[in-house]
Parts: sequence; C-alpha cells; structure tokens
Amino acid sequence: MIINKKYYLLFLFFLQFSSYAQTDWVRWEKFDPTYQKQDSYLQRDYDLSINSVSGLIVKPVINAYWFFVSDVDGANCPFYPSCSSFLAQSIKETNLLQGVAMFFDRFTRDTNVFGRLEHYPIYGKNHFYDPIALYTLDKEKIKIIPAKTFVNVE
Amino acid sequence: MNYLRLLEMTSLKKMSSLFKSLLIVYFFFPLSYSQQIDFQSPQNIKLFANFLFCEKDYLRAVEEYQKYLQLIDDDSVQFKVAIGYSLMNDQTNALSKFGLIKKTSVFYDASKIQKLKSQFLINIDSIFYQSADLLINSNSIYSNNAYKLKNTSLLFFDKNLRSKENFLIPFGDDEKNKLSVFYNLKNNPPYKSETLAGIFSAIIPGSGKIYTENYGDGITAFLLTGLFTYLAYTNFEHDHPTRAWIFTALGSGFYAGNVYGSIASAQIFNAKVNFDFNEGVKLFLQEQNYFTPSYDFCK
Repeated sequence: MIINKKYYLLFLFFLQFSSYAQTDWVRWEKFDPTYQKQDSYLQRDYDLSINSVSGLIVKPVINAYWFFVSDVDGANCPFYPSCSSFLAQSIKETNLLQGVAMFFDRFTRDTNVFGRLEHYPIYGKNHFYDPIALYTLDKEKIKIIPAKTFVNVE
Repeated sequence: MNYLRLLEMTSLKKMSSLFKSLLIVYFFFPLSYSQQIDFQSPQNIKLFANFLFCEKDYLRAVEEYQKYLQLIDDDSVQFKVAIGYSLMNDQTNALSKFGLIKKTSVFYDASKIQKLKSQFLINIDSIFYQSADLLINSNSIYSNNAYKLKNTSLLFFDKNLRSKENFLIPFGDDEKNKLSVFYNLKNNPPYKSETLAGIFSAIIPGSGKIYTENYGDGITAFLLTGLFTYLAYTNFEHDHPTRAWIFTALGSGFYAGNVYGSIASAQIFNAKVNFDFNEGVKLFLQEQNYFTPSYDFCK
C-alpha cells in the first residue's frame, strides 16, 4: 500500500505535539498543598547539649518559649536574629549576666517602633538586621553596615 | 493574428528567462563579495577592541587586545590592557601589566602612577610607600600626584599625621579645603565617651543613649525603666510582694540593659564615625581618580 506523502507529513506534524504534551497523570495526580507560610527566617536551634551553667538555666526556657509560644504565634520579632535567638546567642558568646543585659537592651530597641528604617540594615523581606557582634563590647567585632542596606547572611 | 500572439509569447518567455537570470546574478553577487574582509587581521582586531573599550566592555576589550599583542608589539595597547584591568578593579593583573610598560614608552611615567594606584587599592602598604617615595623623589611629571596619594592614604591609618602645613603641601587650593576638613576630623574625631554614656544612663535611664544621638531608644529606655520601677514601687506599697518582686526584676533588667546598651551605643557611634570618615576619604579619592591622569582613548 502506498502511503500518501501529504498525510504522512501531517501525521508526523501532529504527532510531535502529542509527544511533547503533558500527560493527564501529571496534571491530576494527588497533591498535598500546605498553607503554612514558609519562612527561612525561623531556623531554630533546639539543640540541648549544655556546655555551661548559663546554658543549663536559659536554653530549656528558650526552647520551651520557641515550642509553646513563638512557633505557634509566628515570626513577629522585627529583627534578625529574633529576640529569643539573640538571648541564646549572646549568652553563648559572652556570659549569663552580660547576655541578659544585652537581651534587655535588645528588648528596649524592639519596643521602640520609630525610625527603624533609618537605623538598621534590612534582612530578608521584612526584618531589620541587628547582630550580636555589635553589642558584645568588643570593638574589633563591630562591623558597620549602613542603614537600608540589604543584608544576606549565610 | 496567430503570428502576433506567438511573438508575444516568445517575448514573454524571453522576459521570464531574463528575469530568472537576473535573480541568479542578484543572489550570487553578494556571495562573490562575501568573506573578502579578514576580520582576524591585526587592524580589525584592534578596531573591534577599541570599540569594546569605548563601550566600557573592558573584559572583552582586554581579550581582543591580547590577541592583537600576540601579533604586534604596541605599547599604547599594552597600556590600554593595564588600564582595562584597573577599570575592572582587577588590580593584581593591572599591576603586572603596568609593569610590562618599557622605559622607552611614552606611557612609562603614567604607568608608574597607575601602578601606585593599584598598589594602594590592593593594600600592599609597605610596597606602596616604597614606590610612592621613589616616584616622589624622581623627576617624573607625576611626582606631585604620588605625593598627594601618599598623604591622602595616611588618613586611613592610625599613624600620627605630620603637621597640617606639611600634610597639605602637595595639594591645590580646592583640594586643600577638603583635606583640611579630613585632617581635622582625623585628629579630633567627634567620638562619644563610652564611660560618660554609661554614667549618664546610670543617673537618668536612657540619657546615655540620647547622648550618643540614639534618641528613640533613649526615650524608650527611660519609659520602660520608669514604668517597671513605678509598678514595683506601687505593688510594694499596696502589699503585693510577688508582683512587686517580678516588676523589680524586670525594672532592674531594663536598668542594667540601658546602662550596658548606652556603652554599646557609644561604641557603635564611634565605629560609625570611623566608617563615615573612611567612606568620605574613599569617595574623595574616587572623585580625584586617585590623582592619576585621565585618558580619552575614545575620541
């Protein structure tokens, strides 16, 4: 049987569409959507390996706060690192007394809602960058980043 | 009639064949002229590289110039390669390329001051000062430029600056005004005392932060400490010891935080003063093109 060349070309022409087309199996397969807001900002360090006495006192309290309050309530702290992470890190970096003083100072900054944009660099979409290094009283560690600069740490 | 029609058809056929042959000639005409230009000739490579250089596509311009230099020895192109690297802020390569400029070249003197600029930007302090002194003491037309760059660079370091008159010797009147301001700032930076900030905040909460021009945080510290102290006081007064002690702890925490934060705030203020000063000097140097001559290769 002789195949008509015209029909053969037409057949090939339409075949290419079907070969590239998405199959219905992909389109209709089961999908589990999540409506939870993905936020890389909240990277909790729940590690409870205690290295110091201060860690023994404070870390379980911070972990409990994260688990029972913060993770449920959402990322409301305007700063990066968040106030609770700031406390954990500052105690780790310095000592219990200095860390607590740094935390109260941070909480004061957190309470002041005026002029943040003119004061802090910006981290991510809607957080202000306020690292521990600025407040350890170690001048060598202070690195000035101008306000309104977009910071991408890690 | 038939004869006429035949004649018409013949002429039409002729016309058609003539048209076809013209079409063939038309299409073959460009072919016969194509590939006549040798794009890889040294002149064309240089022309293309010059075009890229003037378009500020220095990376590709340098690549083309290097191709050209493999064929022809040309000191102006060598200089442009080095300038290209310098403009891309690849100072290491710029330095090595400026080093290739021969003494006989007209660009030799210019390459010296450009090398000095690269050394300054790479932060090779010892070599920079050695080269600067050599250039200052030479008979180069750029000796004074080197002197200016050396003196301005001193503003970045914690070394003791020479007297103001000596410091300003190489500069012109306009530059003197700006550098005089920088000199005064370097010698008397408007720092805030950390001790004073701490003492102020210990006496009146928040005043240390206001002293370091952190007005919002200062007022907040005052309000928070005041509020919790007041709450502790009234709770003690009304015989609610548990609440009173909780508020005392919080009040003490905010008080301690405010004293600590004022000291930290003074440190940050001083670091900002240094940062702004360094940025100002850097900007000044950029505006002055690091006291190097400007070239217009794209006229």
